[in-house]
Amino acid sequence: MSILVDIQHVSKKYKDAPRAAVNDLTFSIDKGNVFGLLGPNGAGKTTFISMLCGLFPTSSGEIYINGKTHKTHSKECKQVIGVVPQEIALYPKLTAWENLMFLGHMYGLSGTSLKENVKDNLRILGLEENMHQKIVSYSGGMKRRVNLIAGLLHNPQLLILDEPTVGVDVQSKQAIIEHLKKLNRENGMTILYTSHHLEEAEDFCSHIAIIDDGKLITQGATKQLIADNNCKSIEEVYLKITGVKFRDK
Amino acid sequence: MKLLYSIYKEYKVLTRDRAGLAITFIMPTVLILIITLIQDTTFRSVNEASVPLLIVDRDHDSLSNVLEISLIKSKFFVITKKQLSDEETKKEIATGHFFIGIIIPENTSKKLREKSSARISKLLGSFSGDTSAVAEPLDTSKLKVQLYFDPITKKSFKTTISNSIERIISQIEMQSMVSSLNEKMKESFPLATPSKLELTPIVSLTEEYASYNNSTIIPNSVQHNVPAWTLFAMFFICIPLAGNIIRERDDGSAFRLLTMPGSYMIVILGKMLTYVIVSLIQFALMLCVGVFILPLLGLQELNIGNNLPMLFLVAFSSGLAATGFGLLVGTIATSHDQASLFGAVFVIILAAIGGIWVPTFVMPEVMKKIAVISPLNWGLEAFYGIFLRNFGFKEIFPEVAKLLLFFGASLGGSYLYQKYKRLK
Repeated sequence: MSILVDIQHVSKKYKDAPRAAVNDLTFSIDKGNVFGLLGPNGAGKTTFISMLCGLFPTSSGEIYINGKTHKTHSKECKQVIGVVPQEIALYPKLTAWENLMFLGHMYGLSGTSLKENVKDNLRILGLEENMHQKIVSYSGGMKRRVNLIAGLLHNPQLLILDEPTVGVDVQSKQAIIEHLKKLNRENGMTILYTSHHLEEAEDFCSHIAIIDDGKLITQGATKQLIADNNCKSIEEVYLKITGVKFRDK
Repeated sequence: MKLLYSIYKEYKVLTRDRAGLAITFIMPTVLILIITLIQDTTFRSVNEASVPLLIVDRDHDSLSNVLEISLIKSKFFVITKKQLSDEETKKEIATGHFFIGIIIPENTSKKLREKSSARISKLLGSFSGDTSAVAEPLDTSKLKVQLYFDPITKKSFKTTISNSIERIISQIEMQSMVSSLNEKMKESFPLATPSKLELTPIVSLTEEYASYNNSTIIPNSVQHNVPAWTLFAMFFICIPLAGNIIRERDDGSAFRLLTMPGSYMIVILGKMLTYVIVSLIQFALMLCVGVFILPLLGLQELNIGNNLPMLFLVAFSSGLAATGFGLLVGTIATSHDQASLFGAVFVIILAAIGGIWVPTFVMPEVMKKIAVISPLNWGLEAFYGIFLRNFGFKEIFPEVAKLLLFFGASLGGSYLYQKYKRLK
């Protein structure tokens, strides 16, 4: 397998912060992997994702996406990425259709192909009948599904999911995970997934990395990681590595 | 295409926000109606004041009659006649019942006639060689007409009123002298039938407000309030615009848009263009209020002059300045509440010092100097120029340039702040 994302000694220290939010991260994500990035609150996941998306620069180290960096090939790097933020990043007073058409245009898509793309995604995730309702009238699960579609419209090579199933009902969670598995399986879409649902991560991710205090603690194939640590589940591995102490800041 | 769709999205979001629409369009309409009505009364009371004047006439003769008629004709005064003592008259003025009191002493007319007659006799005597008339000393004592002023009267106003009354009395003196001369001439030439001496003024003053290009519009509350409150509303757009930016940042939309190639700048541009279009619609609607609605309320119709392209240019520049400011507020503020509070307070302060509430021409000198730092004042001055002085591009250019510079500075400030935050 070829490498899609290559992280080389990446650190990030915010001004006036006592310690680095991300500290010398080095790992890679192969094309077609479902890569789980796990860690307690404040571990540096959001900072890392922001740098990966090109929102702000690294303090040191390099992030390569398809061999290119944001510094020199921002447009190409961004074109590869699709992001599904933890927040419902939609306009509540617009309908699902209007939201997705707008975001599709912002990705540079247009015309019949965009309309068909939006319709297909809405149908697959069971939202076709409600697509002309305003987002404000949607349930939490419906909003999450539209939020997911918004990140998929341009068929990205790398889909970044930040807590994609938080606060949704079981049916919506099932629909979202199944759709993502299908995209990975059929389209070879690489997925970077962060979550606090460790059971879901174990089921969904082929590879997992655990970070804490900005540092990479461990990484590997999910099953191998469980076996190497003499544990029965990823949750056990996670607690063994990160401890049981609260991480309140 | 991206830009057009971004504008379309903003249009949809805006038109579905009823509270935002109310702030954008109803607030300035209501403000224009209310403030124009209130200030119209004030403008009239300043410009067309009827000064309450008390006449204590103890003369009851020609001088008091002519003086009263002249004062009535001047339309400056509301005249009340009373028979009071000097002390009572002073008290009436001091207590503010009247601005001015005039006491015309007893026999003033009679004495004026006598003095005029004596002066004419002496003059004619010098021609005829009547040495007794010439030798007789002339009574140069002055007849006194007492004026009392309310102590709060401004010096300039007092001088104006005194001069007006003095001019009227001079005319009466002149008429009295001419009458005496007439009588003396009749005595000398009993058979002559002289024509009546024409006493209408030979020199008259033509008054006109100084203005360019033959425009003679006089400022009134409509001419002030329509552009003033339209500018206020245009700048108030900074609140919904900043709120819109903050909402996108809070709900992750900005994050998502920032991860798209080149899209966030287009979204911001689309947002700004949409709000500039909204501010132009606001401007057009407020002009319509001035032209069509205000006359229905008994106010003067707004005369928009005849330079529509320049009106558009100033409105467009003001719209850009306002949206630039909104972008800056939206970039710096960390919450919607903060943006609303900061935006509202800042616009109100800029409006206050910029002459939106109280026109700069009635402000004290120090405030007039401070007013020029407000972008609302630049817009207002440019509108004044077009409405009142028929200004063209050359004359309004300095104000337009300041508005565009303010827009540029706001954009630059937003960019630098964003960059500083990214690098932090």
